[in-house]
Amino acid sequence: MLRDITIGQYYPADSVIHRLDPRTKIVGTMLYILSLFLVREFPGFIVVITAFAGVWILSHVPFTYMLRGLRPILFILFITAGFNVFLTKGTVLWQWWIFTVTKEGLLRGAFMAIRLILLILGTSMMTYTTTPNQLTDGLEKLMKPLKVIHFPVHEIAMMMSIALRFIPILTEEATRIRKAQMARGADMESGGIIRRAKALVPVFIPLLVAAFHRAFDLAMAMEARCYHGGDGRTKMKPLRYHARDRFAYAYLLCFFATVILLRVWLKI
Amino acid sequence: MKPVVTRQLVHDYVTRDEEGNPSETKRALDHVDITVGEGRFVAVLGANGSGKSTLAKHLNALLLPTDGSVLVCDMDTADDQYLWEIRKSAGMVFQNPDNQIVASVVEEDVGFGPENLGVPTEEILTRVDASLRAVGMQKYRESSPNKLSGGQKQRVAIAGVLAMEPKCILLDEPTAMLDPIGRREVLETVRRLNREKGITVILITHYMEEVTEADEVIVMRHGRVAMQGTPREVFSRVEELRELRLEVPQVTELAYELSRRGVPFTGAILTPQEFVDAYLSLKPETDAENGGAGAETVSAEVGSERNESVETGSAGKPVRMQDEQPILSLRNVDYVYGAGTAFEKKALEHVNLDIFRGEYIGLIGHTGSGKSTLIQLFNGLEKPTSGTVCYEGVDIFSEKYDRRKLRSNVGLVFQYPDHQLFETTVRLDVAYGPKNQGLSGAELEERVEWALRLAGVAEELWQSAPLELSGGQKRRVAIAGVLAMKPKVLVLDEPTAGLDPCGRDEILSEVERICRETGMTVVLVSHRMEDVARFADRLIVMNDGHILQDAPPKEVFRHREELTAVGLEVPQVTAVLQMLRERGRKVPADIVTTAEAVRALM
Repeated sequence: MLRDITIGQYYPADSVIHRLDPRTKIVGTMLYILSLFLVREFPGFIVVITAFAGVWILSHVPFTYMLRGLRPILFILFITAGFNVFLTKGTVLWQWWIFTVTKEGLLRGAFMAIRLILLILGTSMMTYTTTPNQLTDGLEKLMKPLKVIHFPVHEIAMMMSIALRFIPILTEEATRIRKAQMARGADMESGGIIRRAKALVPVFIPLLVAAFHRAFDLAMAMEARCYHGGDGRTKMKPLRYHARDRFAYAYLLCFFATVILLRVWLKI
Repeated sequence: MKPVVTRQLVHDYVTRDEEGNPSETKRALDHVDITVGEGRFVAVLGANGSGKSTLAKHLNALLLPTDGSVLVCDMDTADDQYLWEIRKSAGMVFQNPDNQIVASVVEEDVGFGPENLGVPTEEILTRVDASLRAVGMQKYRESSPNKLSGGQKQRVAIAGVLAMEPKCILLDEPTAMLDPIGRREVLETVRRLNREKGITVILITHYMEEVTEADEVIVMRHGRVAMQGTPREVFSRVEELRELRLEVPQVTELAYELSRRGVPFTGAILTPQEFVDAYLSLKPETDAENGGAGAETVSAEVGSERNESVETGSAGKPVRMQDEQPILSLRNVDYVYGAGTAFEKKALEHVNLDIFRGEYIGLIGHTGSGKSTLIQLFNGLEKPTSGTVCYEGVDIFSEKYDRRKLRSNVGLVFQYPDHQLFETTVRLDVAYGPKNQGLSGAELEERVEWALRLAGVAEELWQSAPLELSGGQKRRVAIAGVLAMKPKVLVLDEPTAGLDPCGRDEILSEVERICRETGMTVVLVSHRMEDVARFADRLIVMNDGHILQDAPPKEVFRHREELTAVGLEVPQVTAVLQMLRERGRKVPADIVTTAEAVRALM
């Protein structure tokens, strides 16, 4: 179960999308998210899906792999869709006890579900094709202006990249701890919410201790390799825009313009 | 210029109470004087807690002296202005491969050091290239560290240090968490760098076999230098080393034991080849040597290192009936990880296995051979992709089978005790298992005490916090935590990993005693051949998801070539005797312990 979390995981492949400058991908993802919220009717999604599909085909990330990223949010997905289905007023299709399903509700639920799915797919596309380090490089560079107001841009970028690197390691560790306690007869699968939460204590404590150990070790290893913050640091791979990035920006602009035009003129 | 000089180095660890006043002082280094010359390969040995890691941290200015001084390339570590220059000159590789890799791509991690030093981009790229090539990892440039083996990760860490162009590399137990293949990879890399690039190496370890090629060995004890000299000088003092909770390589021990019995070996023997050469010249063929020579196999009277009670114990074991039901039985088991994804991997293929009551089984194989998956099938933590697993003849994955109950019958102790210890006291922690079984009150207390005694946890530790114990004690508490469920089968996954030689022997004897006293079936997973050879009555060798060998140790170790082909080694004494046979000596080929070898060669 824990192993299935693939958000924030890099999928190594050699594609145009992988080679894009991370800044391009971050800006692109932001425009993409914005466009998802601009779309008001189903037909609008066609534009978004088409644009996304183009990127996906170029990225060489297997479809099954993309879908796996959705699994952890299934719960949120159902809740969101459910709320919309049951709480929207309109033409009643079906009614039972306090539950009322309306035509508008169904449409609204489906709409929200699609929006959420596209949101996750789009953001995971960025993390699949960008290594955490590139991602933080990109963010660091994009946010550099904030340094003027003493915003710790470099530190935050570093923290993020380390968090991303250790997610899979801690996930695996959690699985192992869980198994070690199950081997001692722990019951993780039955009982009510309180019992289950209690059953997690023996997993949570060793995990926390292990995480602290790792953090301590890593801090020492970084110091031993002369890390002393962002000042005076050079880059092994400084970010430079290439021709492909200009194409990407053009593609993005066309896409975003289409979404806005549709919204303004056709109200969808 | 000497890469490293310490003068009367003292280090105190000070524990502070809640108000920040010092409450306890522990001296970790006590007036240490060492000098390491340029281009030398120096090994620092010592039991856990002897101060060797503290020493390493001083050489990298991660710690500063309480008293005395440390000079790295003539720079005083206490002087702030040299800090980065020192860390650049003496790069450090740590024990845990995962906790020192910063980036998610190999090349970016190797570039981390130079980036911090402000090296220009172009040069970083050349340095990363050269460093990866020097450790033989250029093929993995773009890989994620998570997909690498332990040995490969450590090579990446070494490359990361190399990229800072150090004069000296400090390695703090770099192989403690690796399997034999990984250990070999790392050591070969380090030796090559020392020989070819003239980089000074300081290797901290408690594996003796790793230091035989060092120029100099420093042995630490209680924060002091206890011995110093060439490996040959140090290893000739076998008794003293034993007192320091260390051991010598098995051949060295064999030569030492033989010389005590009148075979005139001069100086310490460090490698099997040396032993064979020395032995052949000391004992010409015509001699009436080889007391047991002529015998093809060692007969029962030769005996083994097991003490007498064990002998009678195993002799008294009822002969297995042909129709006896195995306690655990696996039929046609396949296990596939990540089926249907890009990372699909067959961990087990077509495994058939029967385990009988009272057996002591050694399970060997390197990382990725499928042994960890296999033991998780025994108690139903993992479900085979196909095939059946039966406990006492019943399929454990049949409907309504109580797998929680199974887990108390087949107790599994995982490798790292830190993964299971969570309570505030040892007592409470050990009680977790039996409480899950439904025990309470006096019965529970009784069970906990029984388990703690059986696992050899001293009574004064019962109320202490498990996380504050030493490595060996934690391991014992972890074992007690599983014993407390009174399992019929006890499975231990590398219970000795990370322990010093003495701690390792203590745990193994403890397990042996448990097996003897309770008649429990024991499955011991290990990648140390010497360990399993000594205690197990049956060995299962795993390779690539298959069972390669399943026979008594003596049988298994006859196939030396087959084992080396898959990256496993036979015990050094077995290798020595087999090499003597190849040179025409009539000595048995199935010797597995030092004591046996001594008797065969006298």
